[in-house]
Amino acid sequence: CVQDLLDTNKNPNEAQIAQPDYLLTNAIKSSVDTYWGTTNNLDGTLLFAQHVAKIQYTEIDRYIASNTTFESPWKSFYSQGLRDLAEIIKIGETENQPNYKAVATIFRSWVFLLLTDAYGDIPYSQAININEYITPAYDAQKDVYHGLLNDLKTAVALIDPTKKAISGDVIYSGNLTKWKKFANSLRYRIALRIADKEPEVAKQAIAEIPVADLIGDGETAQLVYLTSPNQNPIALFFETRDDYRVSKSIVETLKSLNDPRLPVFANKTETATPEIYIGVPNGLTTSAASALGFSKTSKIGTYFTSPQTPGVILSTAEVLFGRAEAAARGFTTENAETLYNQAIKASLKQFGITSDDVVNAYLAQPSVKYNSANYKQSIGVQKWIALFGQGLEAFAEWRRLDYPQLPPAVAGTLDGKIPVRYIYPGSEQSLNLKNYKAAVARQGADALTIKLWFDVN
Amino acid sequence: QEIQLKGVVRSNDDHSPLVGASIVKKGTTSGVVTDADGQFNLKLNAGNVLVVSFIGFDSKSFVVHDDSFLEIELGENLNQLNEVVVTALGINKEKKSLGYSVQEIKSETITAVPEANLVNSLSGKIAGVQVTNSQGNLGSSRIIIRGETSISGNNQPLFIVDGVPVDNSQFTTSDASRDFANAISDISSEDIESISVLKGPNAAALYGSRAASGVILIKTKTGKGQKKLGVNVYSKNTFESVLTLPSYQNGYGQGSGGTFSYVDGKGGGVNDGVDESWGPKLDGRLIPQFFSNGVAVPWVAHPNNVRDFFETGHTLSNGVSISGADNKFDFRFSYNNTSQTGTLPNTDLGKNTFGINSSYKILPELVLSTSANYINTDAGNLPGVFGRRATSSMLQFAWFGRQVDVNQLKNYRDANGNLVNWNNSYYSNLFFIANENTVSQRRDRIFGNVNLNYKFLKDFTANFRIGNDYYNDRRKIKIAYGTNGTPYGSYQEIGYTVNERNIEFTLNYNKKITTDFTVDVLGGSNLLSKYYEENNQSAPKLAVRDVYTLANSRDPLVSSSYYSKQKKNSVFASGQANFRDYAFLNLTARNDWSSTLPEGNNSYFYPSVNASVLVSKFLNIESSQLSFLKIRGGWSKVGKDSNPYQLIDTYPFNAPFGSNPQLTVTNASLNANLKPETTTSSEIGAEIGLFNNNVRVDLSYYNTNSYDQILNVDVSPSTGYVSKLLNAGKINNQGFEVQLSFSPVKISNGLTWDVVANFSTNKSEVLELDKEGLLTAYRIAQSGSLSVLAAIGQPYGSLFGTAYKRNDKGEILVKANGAPDTDPNNKYFGSFQPDWIAGITNTFTYKNFSLSFLIDAKIGGSIYNGTQSTGTYTGVLAETLRGRDEENGGLAYYYPNNVKTQLPVQLASHTTAAPNSEVVYHDGVIFDGVKADGTQNTTILPAQSYWKTFRTINESSVFDASFVKFREISLGYNLPSKWIKAIGLQSANVALLGRDLWIIHKNAPHIDPETALNTGNGQGLESLQLPSTRSYGFSLNLNF
Repeated sequence: CVQDLLDTNKNPNEAQIAQPDYLLTNAIKSSVDTYWGTTNNLDGTLLFAQHVAKIQYTEIDRYIASNTTFESPWKSFYSQGLRDLAEIIKIGETENQPNYKAVATIFRSWVFLLLTDAYGDIPYSQAININEYITPAYDAQKDVYHGLLNDLKTAVALIDPTKKAISGDVIYSGNLTKWKKFANSLRYRIALRIADKEPEVAKQAIAEIPVADLIGDGETAQLVYLTSPNQNPIALFFETRDDYRVSKSIVETLKSLNDPRLPVFANKTETATPEIYIGVPNGLTTSAASALGFSKTSKIGTYFTSPQTPGVILSTAEVLFGRAEAAARGFTTENAETLYNQAIKASLKQFGITSDDVVNAYLAQPSVKYNSANYKQSIGVQKWIALFGQGLEAFAEWRRLDYPQLPPAVAGTLDGKIPVRYIYPGSEQSLNLKNYKAAVARQGADALTIKLWFDVN
Repeated sequence: QEIQLKGVVRSNDDHSPLVGASIVKKGTTSGVVTDADGQFNLKLNAGNVLVVSFIGFDSKSFVVHDDSFLEIELGENLNQLNEVVVTALGINKEKKSLGYSVQEIKSETITAVPEANLVNSLSGKIAGVQVTNSQGNLGSSRIIIRGETSISGNNQPLFIVDGVPVDNSQFTTSDASRDFANAISDISSEDIESISVLKGPNAAALYGSRAASGVILIKTKTGKGQKKLGVNVYSKNTFESVLTLPSYQNGYGQGSGGTFSYVDGKGGGVNDGVDESWGPKLDGRLIPQFFSNGVAVPWVAHPNNVRDFFETGHTLSNGVSISGADNKFDFRFSYNNTSQTGTLPNTDLGKNTFGINSSYKILPELVLSTSANYINTDAGNLPGVFGRRATSSMLQFAWFGRQVDVNQLKNYRDANGNLVNWNNSYYSNLFFIANENTVSQRRDRIFGNVNLNYKFLKDFTANFRIGNDYYNDRRKIKIAYGTNGTPYGSYQEIGYTVNERNIEFTLNYNKKITTDFTVDVLGGSNLLSKYYEENNQSAPKLAVRDVYTLANSRDPLVSSSYYSKQKKNSVFASGQANFRDYAFLNLTARNDWSSTLPEGNNSYFYPSVNASVLVSKFLNIESSQLSFLKIRGGWSKVGKDSNPYQLIDTYPFNAPFGSNPQLTVTNASLNANLKPETTTSSEIGAEIGLFNNNVRVDLSYYNTNSYDQILNVDVSPSTGYVSKLLNAGKINNQGFEVQLSFSPVKISNGLTWDVVANFSTNKSEVLELDKEGLLTAYRIAQSGSLSVLAAIGQPYGSLFGTAYKRNDKGEILVKANGAPDTDPNNKYFGSFQPDWIAGITNTFTYKNFSLSFLIDAKIGGSIYNGTQSTGTYTGVLAETLRGRDEENGGLAYYYPNNVKTQLPVQLASHTTAAPNSEVVYHDGVIFDGVKADGTQNTTILPAQSYWKTFRTINESSVFDASFVKFREISLGYNLPSKWIKAIGLQSANVALLGRDLWIIHKNAPHIDPETALNTGNGQGLESLQLPSTRSYGFSLNLNF
């Protein structure tokens, strides 16, 4: 009788045992979806970084945000991607599969990095451990970056191609060498992120990474999307909605540089206009935006609204820009200008521009040429272009490098300022109040205009 | 002379035999009780005096003369003391013997004014019972008895029909945006004999783990006592119209900044993509509009444009019942048909119910009875609700061009077949949505029971019952090609199957031990098994328009299925000791074994004890002033088990990514050590009869603690989960209830005036959420930045959201631009629970006329007014006229050098010139607040900006939810018997009826503050709800 009752309660609907490969696919897909998706990207960082602008519902483009506005990235990064990855790490430990543990740790580091870049202090050391911490404390951003550098180092050391291979890897199809390179490139990214704040730590971290162990040509970390229902989240959005245009900031920059990426990033206006490509200024009022006309402004380039467009995590171009910057900062002895040019070349290649003539003509322009007197300007502007679509990364680099100099929203509500972080989700006030308060007190206030620790100027 | 006396005892009301009436020789304890036919057989002597008594009836005495067959009819005793009520497990008990409050309402009270949803007909009639009406006239209804005892679980009471639990699920299908009718609404009020409300644990303790939210016992009509064939026919015809609509402004039309011109309705013209009413003044100027093909036509107001969209709903209910009985057999067959059309175009619901109740006496001691019902509920299209853009009409009216004439939208396709609408950037035409984006529901249901009752010894009765409730609920959701946001349309089918079976055996022993002392003992067992199945399939994009099949899909189908099963085994016992008919002690005990709980925790015991003393009889102080006084009290412990499959974390499937299957970790962290929720409740009360029982008062006070709550609490996602299943929360509810009835007028010429009133309060406090005290709030529901919480130290259902930023004096602070500032910390705005609820029914009868009306009130509590929040932002509501021009109080101002980022400078009214010839505006408003330095705000905002500042401040849209409603009225006339006898009728009644005719009082503007989003716990949020309806009509009732 008792046994009958217990048998009755066996859940027939869901798997009771997890497979790390299936979890890995899900962790990658859900994290990249969030990174590339609406709230985090189109309705957040792509606006702040002025890659796109809104032509309907312009509130967020005017920085009118409430404490629910940025709830969904927080929720999905933590409770989906990171949760699945924690399970893989556990399986990796208990079943002696170090490669799963290493890959999951590497990918987890990227997700934590996104979170801290966006929100600042975040639960990290107590996160994803509900049995011990039902209200996880927030780690200071500095500690998160340090922790991630360390996690990545450990993960790289853990990779052992002689041990059991991994599957379910929809980024590198189980190629562990490439995962190692991705891990090192992430370390490089983090080192530079803190370079203004802690140059010595940054320099030391970069010194530990052999250049050959970074992502090289054709090794960009990205998720190549499929067709419906696995299409690129931006493509999914534009199937039914038409709320965005390319930002005037990037259209004007590309025009001024005669940049061949303009037709990739922007479509021609539907109603032919003399300007061909017209960007929309960020932060117009609803009526001012709609007065520009839906058909008289440039939609986001078809490349980005196609189902199978990759969600880029870390590109070859980014690595090269990073190396150029490390050189410019004197962290390494490489040639900054050479690397800068290679980076631009890699970016052009990423967007399908491979003709040597076009590339060389572009690089030859004085406006493009590397300015060694102000590496932040050269690298800032070109990296901002190269990161088109990768909203959160572009936003982080713009905050760090302080270039390009972007105009605030036309009808902005932050007294002429541009947001420099997300607001924490309001739900933290009811669910994790004490730790939330401590984190806010440490950083100043929970407002869009409060600079994060890494953001020196 | 010894006589062998035979006879029968019947009720003088319906002539039905009274089973178990006692026939005793006066002055002795020797006697017999009547058998299942009401018959008895007794030896005694001529000249003996017989006393015939039966609970609930006046006793009668006879002197025995001879052996002729005695036909004795007893009159029902209307003295409240002897009233018999149905208690747990359907056992009839004398009300005086009970140590808890129980209230019963009879058929006439339920059916006098018809209501499609049975639950609604309880509104205002029972102390401690709170009914919340659904949206519109086709939808769900929520019922809560004595407050919410479960923080996150189901707080709807258990419904039991003729001893068998019946399901009352709602299954909100979120994709459908419909308020589906809860399953109990299947039952036709016309078949109900009585409803007994067991208010919470004390009364319902015998139901153990199903008792925490109270029990509603429904007894259906039978054919008992119907001497010859009886036929009843009725017809009820009511019309429904919209009761409340928001107050709209009619001064300004669609647009922004005062400009508008239509080209394509999505931004191609001047502000024609804007779905707000900040456009030009409705002064008859010429502007191209959506219906004018580019021609400038007069820009004028259509004050009734929203009202014109709604129709008059119609409900027609017809039914027939046939009943009959002889001394072995009785039956009642009924058929009811209801067809309803809603107040929204193209909405309807139909219901057919077939029922049969019968019993057959196999042996004098052995009775077999059965009840079977088939119900078919079929709605072609239910009204769209929930403020979703694709479905909700009220959402579209909240984002609207006030100049739009909805009659111009009726033909929603132009000559080329293209859809015509006032706005094409966000919406589809309302009539197109109503006619083509439909959601249908069909529920086929069979429930009933077979019951075998065997009185195998003088004092022993055994009863065996098997009951089953099965239904299949299918919903079809169609979105047509061309719908805004879903250009290819979509089609979804959802099917739910529910089955619950109960097998119950009871053994009863009833014995008068001595003249002073009677015991009544019962023991039994119950086996419950239940399954639930859900199948969900959708074609996310149609391949071919207008064909709604799953095969017609452009993309792969999205499918899911879910199956659950649960079992519960129970044993129970109850005992009652009756001392001299004035002191009673009742004990109950139940042990449940539930499949949903882990080994070791799955057996749990629920005891209760209660007692009642008739003080007036005990102290012998009954008089014509004090007819009776009873005090009572009790304590009980009941519980609630969990839903199935809450113990072990699982890994749900996600759709594969190409050839890679995907598994994820569940969002909710489950709990392998679950214990049942426990509720303990104490109750004391008194019943008082005064002035020959003309005034009857029933008072109750209860205190309920619910702990070990099975609580799926939201946790910070940084834990890796969205929620965690805890077993810890604690909530206290206490309340006070009064029921009062009296007859102010009882005149011999036939005029009577009866008053029945009830009043109740319930106060709740959330005491604990987790053992460690880390969690401070549990989120019950959310709408934007506003949450409904169960927060520690607060009442259940507290609204929590963004508030005005205030200084120490409580004055609202403004920002530099003159707009009110938002406090970074969210604040509490009261709970959705009312302070008190009350209802009063007045009934007047005079000769063949009767007039009855019910007024009910719910006072206190808060509601978030989503209509007000949105409608002020969009400028459609009446108040947003303020400040738009000088006529409406607008201030004159200019921007220095026409630079709009400068602060505006105020001018005297009617000034048309500014110092440097700047443009002068006349739509300035100053928010009534103070600057940081405490001085009064003087900064002007343009009216449009002013009215748009409030939407992000939840506090500005929270209102007192109090209301007083004129709930029911009926005026009936019984046709004189001399007229009707001629045409073969026993009786005939005609009546005029009205329901919800008038909201006598409310404080929340624009909406009916009585609103339920669904039957769940997340209340207190009004989200662009459908207007509630009033209903009026007539009925005809004939008995042959």
